[in-house]
Amino acid sequence: MGSHPRERPLGGKVLTSAMKVLLGLAALWAVMVAIRLLFGLGAMSAQNDGYAWGIWKPLNVVTFTGIAAGAYAVGLVTYLFNRGEYHPLVRSSVMAGAMGYTLAGISVLVDLGRWWNLWVVFWPPAWNLNSVLLEVAGCVLAYTLVLWVEVGPAVLERLAEARSRVVSRLARRLLPELRRRMPFVVATALLLPSMHQSSLGGLFMITETKTHPLWHTSLLSALFLVSCVTMGFGAVVVIENLASLRWGKAIDQKLLARLNAVPAWLALGFVALRLGDLAWRGRLGLVAAGGTHALLFLVEMALFALPGVLLLSARWRANRGNLFGAGLLLLAGGTLYRFDTYLVAYQPSPGWHYFPYVREMLFSLCLAGMGVAAYALFVKLFPILSGVGERGAKAAAPAAPMRIAAGR
Amino acid sequence: MKDPSFDDSPAAERITRRRALRIAAAAGAAAAAGSAQAREPKRPHDGDAGLLFDATLCVGCRACQTACKEANHLPPDRRAEDGGLYDAPLDLNGTTKNVIRLAVGPGGETEFVKRQCMHCADPACASVCMAGALHKIERGIVAYDEKRCVGCRYCQIACPFNVPKFQWHTALPVIVKCELCRHREEGAACAEVCPRGAVVKGTRGELLAEARRRLAAAPERYQRKVYGESDGGGTNVLYLTSSAVPFDALGLPNLPQHPLPELSESVQHGIYKYGIAPIALWTAVTVIQLRNRKEDHGARREEE
Repeated sequence: MGSHPRERPLGGKVLTSAMKVLLGLAALWAVMVAIRLLFGLGAMSAQNDGYAWGIWKPLNVVTFTGIAAGAYAVGLVTYLFNRGEYHPLVRSSVMAGAMGYTLAGISVLVDLGRWWNLWVVFWPPAWNLNSVLLEVAGCVLAYTLVLWVEVGPAVLERLAEARSRVVSRLARRLLPELRRRMPFVVATALLLPSMHQSSLGGLFMITETKTHPLWHTSLLSALFLVSCVTMGFGAVVVIENLASLRWGKAIDQKLLARLNAVPAWLALGFVALRLGDLAWRGRLGLVAAGGTHALLFLVEMALFALPGVLLLSARWRANRGNLFGAGLLLLAGGTLYRFDTYLVAYQPSPGWHYFPYVREMLFSLCLAGMGVAAYALFVKLFPILSGVGERGAKAAAPAAPMRIAAGR
Repeated sequence: MKDPSFDDSPAAERITRRRALRIAAAAGAAAAAGSAQAREPKRPHDGDAGLLFDATLCVGCRACQTACKEANHLPPDRRAEDGGLYDAPLDLNGTTKNVIRLAVGPGGETEFVKRQCMHCADPACASVCMAGALHKIERGIVAYDEKRCVGCRYCQIACPFNVPKFQWHTALPVIVKCELCRHREEGAACAEVCPRGAVVKGTRGELLAEARRRLAAAPERYQRKVYGESDGGGTNVLYLTSSAVPFDALGLPNLPQHPLPELSESVQHGIYKYGIAPIALWTAVTVIQLRNRKEDHGARREEE
């Protein structure tokens, strides 16, 4: 394999039966949004004055963008550490990133009680620069736009081949302009997640008396940043494998395996940072004390340490099944850490309880389904995935089983 | 699986490993450096408006609750179970800024406790509020401006007393919390109707002196502490309680002596100090790419 394979549109039928199911979910979601808008948040969500943030924050915002951090993780390695061989993974992860962040943004908008006032957040004279959430809000919105600009070249490449002469001429003119400016876009795309992903943890620095001491630390920002990168790497592996299973995308297992030496060290670093921090604060005894919190803490540690240790071995991660498993573990670890910080470790005061309504969980599921549908649509229409055939999935399909065999 | 093509990986890995560690280290250092940046606490002022609540005097008549509703034009509380109108709220909520609850001490002794905004000297709610909908105004009052509120509810997460309340069952909700009747010239309505002098209003300096006077007059009657004097950096609402029912039984949490925003604001401003870290990262990535692009172009031309 000489120069890395070019990305191509997957092609194939857009309105598959799976897509119809996802569109059904989108319709259901729209109904739920309407109910929320008409009757208030309480009609859709079990959130209450004790637990003012329910699952929509840790799941739709913090976990979805954690998965979307694949774009950040691959970007860091490819651009900051200058390892161009990972380029074939960039477009796919940026696409997933754009989806994840768009969903997160939509979810926040629905969850805002007084959404019509959102403009004040973009009105500098009103800014309260002490607010961690202000930084998150501005940064997430800006990054979502940047991610879509990063998707731009793929869209323009396809439009340049459009039948309409006006469209193709315009696309051909815009493409080099955009490409010339890409380094600045990419730099912004690496800066913004460094800021808000850490701040998503920093949000809970102020809840010193409400957040369980196993989770409350001045390192919250650093821990959220590191774990979003491990989630990002996990997401890249998982999405690659799912795309292969579903669309017969060829996987460059050697490339993925080499890349995943990075999350091994980051995951172990996360464990070391947390244990070291607890020891430093003299709170290690809380782990031995038992109880739900100690148990969840240990499960978190295991979900980071296990893939961390296993991924250290180049031989172990060369196996495609192993790496897929490690990717899932990395995602699970980061997700649990996020849920714990936002909900389980957060204890407002005695007497408050929260468990999400079924419709509240369904809302998240529908949102995720919409993201998957949009991702599928984009990779079918635009040159985003590498390792797929020129004439769509069929051409690539025969290659996939062979790759799997080779991987095992 | 034996894979000869992994021959090239050790060198590549060493680099990524070292660099990955460096990211983690840098992230940690940024946060650690941040926490070292001290932030000036906002201290309470003697002239601030406040309340003193003496739990040993309250008999639970709830006249203050009714007075608060009238003064603030709040609708009566509707009971959740049967939708009936009793105007007997169980806690602060979307239509209740002031409430009397019963507290039980460890020995079974009971006491009534009044709950409303504590009007912190350095409030967590105002520190986290994105556009300053919650903000300090003159006389140390923590005021709410719905025109700047997006309904994110971070104030509810941040408040150590769980005071700000949200209207969950309306399309056009607002945050509801005591603003010390800032719209009334006479000040807090709750203190005007108390038949026992359990809640009195005044400046923080006067109230603190009054609290100390009561403590000195009957030391055996009280816990020897004025809650709010320095808890969480100080509040403008002060509490006294009997020796039998400690403050945490009243629902007043054990707070550190420093204001809660101290840590989060120090770390946040530490990381972004002068914008150095973000600008450095942005510049580094841009420069690396521009340099590469030049090399890449050369290489590609040779290939073609």
